[in-house]
Amino acid sequence: MNVTGNELAGQKVRIYPVTRIQGRADIEVLFDPHHNVAEARFRALDYRGTDRMAVGMPAQRVPQVLSTACGVCGPFHKLASCMAVESACGTRVPAAAGTLRELICWLLLASSHLATITYCALPDFALPTSDAAVKNVTGIYMVDQEFVSRLSHAMTAIYDTLDIIAGNRFRIPVILPGGVSRLPAPSEIETASALLASCEDELRETVRLAEMLTRRESRMMETGTPLPGSYMCSVTDGLAALLGTEVATAPFAGGEPRALSFDEFLSSLVEEEIDWTFVKPLTVDGFDCQLVGPLARVNMGFGEDTPLAAMERARLLEQWEHPLDSEFFFLMSLALEAVWAWEKAKRLLSSISYDGECWTSLAPAAGAGRAVIDSPRGLLVHQVELDALGAVSDYRVCSPLQFNYKTLNEHLTSVAARTVGGIDIGESAAARLQMAVRSFSPCVPCGTH
Amino acid sequence: MYVSTVALGACGGCEASLLAAGEPLVSLLSEHDIGFSSLLVDRRSITPSDVVLMSGCVRNAEELRLAEEVARTSRKIVAVGTCAVYGGVAGLRRLEIERSQDEDVLPRVFAEARPLDQVMSVEMYVPGCPPPTGILFETVKALMEGVQPLRHDATVCSECDRRVARRGPARAVSSSSGPASGEGVCLLNESLLCLGPVTRGGCNASCPSVGTVCSGCRGPSDAVLSSQLHSLYSDMVSCVARTTGARRDKVAAQVEGMLDVVYTYTACDPVAMFKVRGKVPRG
Repeated sequence: MNVTGNELAGQKVRIYPVTRIQGRADIEVLFDPHHNVAEARFRALDYRGTDRMAVGMPAQRVPQVLSTACGVCGPFHKLASCMAVESACGTRVPAAAGTLRELICWLLLASSHLATITYCALPDFALPTSDAAVKNVTGIYMVDQEFVSRLSHAMTAIYDTLDIIAGNRFRIPVILPGGVSRLPAPSEIETASALLASCEDELRETVRLAEMLTRRESRMMETGTPLPGSYMCSVTDGLAALLGTEVATAPFAGGEPRALSFDEFLSSLVEEEIDWTFVKPLTVDGFDCQLVGPLARVNMGFGEDTPLAAMERARLLEQWEHPLDSEFFFLMSLALEAVWAWEKAKRLLSSISYDGECWTSLAPAAGAGRAVIDSPRGLLVHQVELDALGAVSDYRVCSPLQFNYKTLNEHLTSVAARTVGGIDIGESAAARLQMAVRSFSPCVPCGTH
Repeated sequence: MYVSTVALGACGGCEASLLAAGEPLVSLLSEHDIGFSSLLVDRRSITPSDVVLMSGCVRNAEELRLAEEVARTSRKIVAVGTCAVYGGVAGLRRLEIERSQDEDVLPRVFAEARPLDQVMSVEMYVPGCPPPTGILFETVKALMEGVQPLRHDATVCSECDRRVARRGPARAVSSSSGPASGEGVCLLNESLLCLGPVTRGGCNASCPSVGTVCSGCRGPSDAVLSSQLHSLYSDMVSCVARTTGARRDKVAAQVEGMLDVVYTYTACDPVAMFKVRGKVPRG
């Protein structure tokens, strides 16, 4: 339905559904008696209870079930679940398996970001003032077929690489509790390397286009609503990493990042339950609200081993100062991270072994385990408790949307206060509110699991 | 022609698989009209469509209302993904909600997941968790061109390169999550409970090809669905016994202890569960 009329005696307006995001959600704008915006809420309307499905299951079966917590980031859930089970069993996976898993993560990050750019983010930036009927990927295709074609080529080349390396682009059957089922053959590595090499030009162009559109967008739209709180991601040696060694957080207002060990981080997580959404927001005790995901990682910084991404990031920070604290950097951060992930994947592919141990059997026993990783949309935590028979007695997932939830709603409220003039919300204001939501890349299936 | 997509109680994997088709899909869609699709276009009302791709099972009151509205206004409904076709993983457990459910605020969550055809008439099924990108795209293309999509009625085994080994001493079949140890040997010969013989193909045996068992995500094969018992369990027991040379009654007893593995994706489907209702542990 379109933006509906008022409900509850003119106090609340609902925008349903929020479009170009994963999952079903709405935005509720609540008004005070003078019809000024009191609050804007992003509400998730879908709940499947995937973590509850795991309770009672043998530990080794859990990753298969938890991979369905989210179809888009499913492989990250599967990997986090494997790592949590391995940690509960005290199992160390062979080094070659660790490398292959990391390679798969980078490929998934790149492909996921390219898909998000193509279908969800680009229409807001490329066709900002267009009618809803054409503000989508087919609208862009009609205007600039060549660009969609090149983006699509990069995306499908990386998906094809995943099919070769991992067996299947979405199920990633090669990842198992205890390691991986096999290492790629030399011929497969050669084919995968050629596929990755074939998308360099497209990725560079994507960054250029994202930069150009970001510059135009930041001029066109009011940018006076900086993101509140802190940004946060997993890090290794203080730099953003997908499979990092600790978590770091730094305030948008400026200041040095503070590192937290995984144990410190997990013990300081506070989960809330709210009656108007299926998402349970998470905060880190002692900190204000957080932002996780691409923009957080770009702010934290890339290493020297990805020179192209580091150079592009430096160019970006020359134009707009660190930290990047506006939602309009969303597209840019996706494009930058696609290049970052592609460089990491290329590097790992050239050093991967195709011989040796890649799997260790698990001996499940009573214990607890956890995994903290960064997924395309941000920090992801899986925690498991096993009973004496090795069955799951408790399972907990903390997803990116839960971490971002307070920041998202705080930001949404401030955007609504500036753009909504009275209780009749027009299409352009509704579009603006949805764009604010999209800049957090919310994944509802992940968020409510 | 108007094509639409709707995700009910879904993880989003089916849509992601479709979108992974890239430019051919965008090109196809730009030649037609997208009716409604919250993932692709900003249109927010349910409008009449010729083809609607529906993923996910029905898990709450809002999804039921949405499904009924789509059924009223659309011509062909395609159930996309194993959740829509068989209930999928969501059917593994009953979901008891502790929090108070105010239906004016949030949709009421149902304890049981329901496959799509329990609440509406479905024209076509495209199972898979998620369905392979190629199959999904070809199905959409065929429907939009007004031709019948290709049927994938063989089993995963028929697409698998692994060969059945000469029978050795029969070992107990296991639901271990470990990888295959023998290069190119059928996983059943390695005593792993691979569901390839009873699962619909079309995936190029992507799991067995990298040394892991087929978990049955594409649902029962045509042979299982058209058999007298249409029972995954019964057909699986026959396949394991035939392949390994073990006695059928022994295999039956072993597999009966692993029914939750056999029915991971079909636990709430009334047809697939017909003969084993009550045997699969459901919390």
